[in-house]
Amino acid sequence: MKLRTRTSAPSKVEVPMAPMIDVIFLLLIFFMLNLKIFTPESNYSVNMPISGPSAQVDQHLPEIKVTLRSDRDGNLTEVALGSKNLGNTDAAFERLNREILAIIGRPGNPLTKEVEVEIDADYETQYKYVVRAISKCTGRFDPESKQIARYVEKIKFAPPHKPKA
Amino acid sequence: MKLRKSDMGFTEPDMTPMVDIVFQLMMFFMIAINFENTKADERLKLPKDALAKPPTVRPEHELLLNYGYRRDANGSRVKSVPEIFYNERYLEVFEISPALEQERRVMERVHGKEVIKDVTVLIRADAEIPTGLVQELIRRSQDVGFSKFSLRATSEEL
Repeated sequence: MKLRTRTSAPSKVEVPMAPMIDVIFLLLIFFMLNLKIFTPESNYSVNMPISGPSAQVDQHLPEIKVTLRSDRDGNLTEVALGSKNLGNTDAAFERLNREILAIIGRPGNPLTKEVEVEIDADYETQYKYVVRAISKCTGRFDPESKQIARYVEKIKFAPPHKPKA
Repeated sequence: MKLRKSDMGFTEPDMTPMVDIVFQLMMFFMIAINFENTKADERLKLPKDALAKPPTVRPEHELLLNYGYRRDANGSRVKSVPEIFYNERYLEVFEISPALEQERRVMERVHGKEVIKDVTVLIRADAEIPTGLVQELIRRSQDVGFSKFSLRATSEEL
């Protein structure tokens, strides 16, 4: 029996490219359909003590209370820090930011770890104002150095009000 | 006269550059695709804030709640009361407690009884929702047993 083996040099193997390109197209269509473009989100942590007003309030810590009052549609009518009325425009939040800075002294002060800001908002106040208030209390973003200076770390909410009739 | 292909001024296009472009496109999409935010509902308009930067530490256990308004194609509200988009259903905040309890039971079954103290509730709420309703949601979550909360906002371009 003669075993005939191929003695010729190995011939070029033709790789079938068309099916491979089809698979590539399928993959591409899958990724195109699943791409979601979104703006990065981030968190503010809120401290929610389950028990009512906390009993152990350190006496030598300043009591910071931010009040947000609004009309029936939720638009801001007043932003106040303690008893000081800061207005009701965007500038009011900037003033809030500066006042908080004045209270804590300077960012990085160990006081920032202990002091708590209490946010007292009307029932109808739109949520975005509360988030802005939290942001202005938490720190300041410096556009030149791209750093975030942290002011207050702990935020808590006052018990909710009744809705306006 | 026999016409061959080359006589007609017809050359078969070379597919290689086209395939290169397709590869480039695919590389872009493979890098850009992000599966993490699938639960982040796009119907909500979160409040914008400059200080909002993505968190460096991800909480180990989290419960994501999407709270917003049902809107039609123009962006105006279908219902004047906001609802929590939970599992393809719409629940008002007064109806959310059984669902929260169910979430808690599932987490306890998977991670053990002590997990409830470590779970962070991530609240993605539309910017226009009355604060009282968000506080109600927080209160109901506290009644079920959750104690850590985090409010989400989108990063604002300065």
